[in-house]
Amino acid sequence: MSRIDNSNNSSAIRNISDEQLAVAQPKRAAPSTLALAFKLAFSHLEISIKQNISISAITGIYGDSGSGKSSLLRVIAGLEPRAKGQVSLNGTVLQDSDNKAFIKAEKRQIGLVFQDSRLFPHLSVYQNLAYGAKRQTNRQLTIEKVLALTQLNQLQHQNVTLLSGGEKQRVSIARALLAEPKLLLLDEPFSALDKSTKSQMLTILKAIQQQLQLPMLYVSHSLSELQYIADQLVVVSAGKITQVAPIHQAIHQLNSRGETSPKTSLSLTIAEHLPDYGLTRLTLPAKKSTSKNHNIYLPILEQSNSQRLISQQLPCIIYARDISISKTKPEHSSIVNHLPASISVIQYNKTNALVTLKANEQEFYAQISLWSAKRMALTTESKVYIQFKANAVHSYYFTEPTANA
Amino acid sequence: MTDISADLLALITTLKMAAVTTVILLIIGTPMAWYLAKWQSRFKVFFEAVVALPLVLPPTVLGFYLLLAFSPTSLPGQLWQSATGSQLAFSFSAIVIGSVLYSLPFVVQPLQKAFEQLGDHHLEAAAMLGAGPIDRFFSVVLPLTKASFITATALGFAHTVGEFGVVLMIGGNIPGETRVLSIALFDHVEAFNYANAHLLSAGLLIASLILLSLVYLLGNNFNKKQQGTVKL
Repeated sequence: MSRIDNSNNSSAIRNISDEQLAVAQPKRAAPSTLALAFKLAFSHLEISIKQNISISAITGIYGDSGSGKSSLLRVIAGLEPRAKGQVSLNGTVLQDSDNKAFIKAEKRQIGLVFQDSRLFPHLSVYQNLAYGAKRQTNRQLTIEKVLALTQLNQLQHQNVTLLSGGEKQRVSIARALLAEPKLLLLDEPFSALDKSTKSQMLTILKAIQQQLQLPMLYVSHSLSELQYIADQLVVVSAGKITQVAPIHQAIHQLNSRGETSPKTSLSLTIAEHLPDYGLTRLTLPAKKSTSKNHNIYLPILEQSNSQRLISQQLPCIIYARDISISKTKPEHSSIVNHLPASISVIQYNKTNALVTLKANEQEFYAQISLWSAKRMALTTESKVYIQFKANAVHSYYFTEPTANA
Repeated sequence: MTDISADLLALITTLKMAAVTTVILLIIGTPMAWYLAKWQSRFKVFFEAVVALPLVLPPTVLGFYLLLAFSPTSLPGQLWQSATGSQLAFSFSAIVIGSVLYSLPFVVQPLQKAFEQLGDHHLEAAAMLGAGPIDRFFSVVLPLTKASFITATALGFAHTVGEFGVVLMIGGNIPGETRVLSIALFDHVEAFNYANAHLLSAGLLIASLILLSLVYLLGNNFNKKQQGTVKL
């Protein structure tokens, strides 16, 4: 399993600062409501969206390439005047083709971070940030504060054309923040970055979201990235929104539709680090008074500030192919994670069976061979044990699941 | 008047004509180039062809039609006369209008190409940061297409300095008003005054060469500086 190699990230990015972690339990701002009812035709695709989305923290937008995710953001941003229909944010009409109403992009107070950063090459890092700040009348954020939030202090006088990909995107985010938008849109901002830089960017972005209480719409085609950063998921397919649900629930719904490799998505509480064993213990709390907390172990979160992570929620993914089922308690096994569970659904596919199980009211998904399913004579309501290695628990915090999400 | 002082007067007239023409060209050529770069219609090619016409048309053809239009018996000529009180044909204003049309492609084409290459990416980014259209032009477009503006200005100016046919047709040869260098040169040759003809020819040749070299030098430097910015 790969972990963040801190030696890679020389001076630019250090571990997440204390200030950022201090906001682990933020105050909740009122959610923003986006009301969408529009159509936008392209030669290869017609986007037709009718959906209200309530955004409280980071809402992920997931879909394949060419499904219309970016166009959806562009319509909200005001870059697609051709769109027919209505778009409004918190009750303010942004565009309404029937009434010939259209608020221009520069008047919408919506920020957009592009995939290709689009920094102004004739301006330095600081001047790029000032570009956003200068055109903003109601200034709450200072450039200095945003430089600190995005860890750009060292780079402020640099020529933007000489920055690395991760640095460019941090400047792009900082610039967007300084325009003080009511809603920040991010269009696959980290897709061109390597894994370790990406996971640190995601952690920085999450901390910024919590500190500024700024609602964000984050587009990506990587489900694992979205699982780490988003609290809600909007699924876009062939120009339509097919699903809006809390993140874990949305990922589980995608399992049953067979569109992605099936996986269990859950948030677990970080309980303690066990350096002698190389593990970090997480807990899956009991939902009923009759049951007890379950422990789940994963390879130790090696961060210099890992103690600060205690009692925080860690979004985790466990691929269904990494979970196996045993009828007896697997006590004499090297596999560290085993939980009692009951089978709720068995879905027989062509080459395997996808078993849905519940442990402490948490759904888990196990993919087993048809042969095993038959040999073990599994039925719904069966009481079994699920087991998986510590290495099978993935979190973007320190590693990215290696499989296609 | 000596030949030298007459030539000096022609030089001043030429520079004045070229300067006024270049300023007018930048003012009308920039929005024209912008719309041609952004406009997506099948009629666009027609307008591009109209702008490019002076590149292929004999200047005397343009001069001939302008002469007809500027005459006191035609509508544009009459309108001009009633508005300004003076005749348009054979005036400084006439040669400026002729030069503007004649040098239009030299200003519009490089600007159009620059605007097309610039694309919408940086403009969209600027809009998302709260910059309106005029603000975007001065804060993003102008600095990023500076090299093309320098090229357009220099080419427009140099081409206007060198024009002959249009001026001859609509301006005539009035000292201090419409007698420009190329016409003074023609006069010298007609009068077998080769010494003065050499002076003017060599002067124009060297000045043009220096101007163009400067343009290419600036363009190259700017391209080198911009190269790092292509990979975003």
